[in-house]
Amino acid sequence: MKNKDIESILRDSRPQVQDNPAFLLEVQQKMRAVEGIKNEVDRQRRYGRTALILALVSGLIVGAVTMSLAYLYPIDPSAINDSIISDIRVIVESYKQYLLLPIAGCAIALGLILGRHKAFI
Amino acid sequence: MSPERFIDLVRVEQESLRRFLLALCGGDESLADDIAQDALVRAYVASGSFIGLSKFSTWLFRIAYNCYVDYHRKPRLETVSSESQQALSIPATDETDSGFKHQRLYQALESLPEKEKASLVLHYFEDRSIKEISSILDIPQGTVKYYLSAGRNHLKSILQ
Repeated sequence: MKNKDIESILRDSRPQVQDNPAFLLEVQQKMRAVEGIKNEVDRQRRYGRTALILALVSGLIVGAVTMSLAYLYPIDPSAINDSIISDIRVIVESYKQYLLLPIAGCAIALGLILGRHKAFI
Repeated sequence: MSPERFIDLVRVEQESLRRFLLALCGGDESLADDIAQDALVRAYVASGSFIGLSKFSTWLFRIAYNCYVDYHRKPRLETVSSESQQALSIPATDETDSGFKHQRLYQALESLPEKEKASLVLHYFEDRSIKEISSILDIPQGTVKYYLSAGRNHLKSILQ
């Protein structure tokens, strides 16, 4: 048997595919399922990102307001009555110089997220 | 790529793709269609990364071949003899002697190493060029030529 014979046998023996109209319909169904999963994943990712951004913005605003109040209205810790709110005010008053750190942290994280995912905002 | 555009492209390629997988799967049409659907879903998921460096059909065949290889890497319960049975079930175009010759050929193809078989199927059943086969199987063109030559020689010795 020569090479030509093998080649002609191969060329003449192409398998016949039976027509299957359901094939493309099944593919389309699977594509719709994939599309649904992709949309759900995107939705959850967007939701998580929005929640994170809201938390960071809130942290930034609350921190900035707290710091402004602490500097604008300084109090004398010794003159404060004994209660939980007073304790908090004392702590803020004592450590107000360090409040800038978490605020800066929030701002940097927010900047990174907004910079990396502009398309989702 | 939009789903409509993807389906339009697949509509053109589906017959050829199914025939390629049918030949690789030794005539098991339902298995070939399952792998083809798996390949098309994978291609759809990855369609965003298709940037047109190769033809759509070459890209699709490459995914299909990888799906076929993945399927065969999975441990299965079937024995080798069942594959020979599947080879007998390939519909031949003619009855009698010609049909018998086809069945012998398909059985012989089944006994070849995967890449030799895939090279022969792509070249002789799908009329793919050496360059396209090289891209689909992810091997150099020289290796494709070697597989074609070795495959023909193996077939010759089996069929004689």
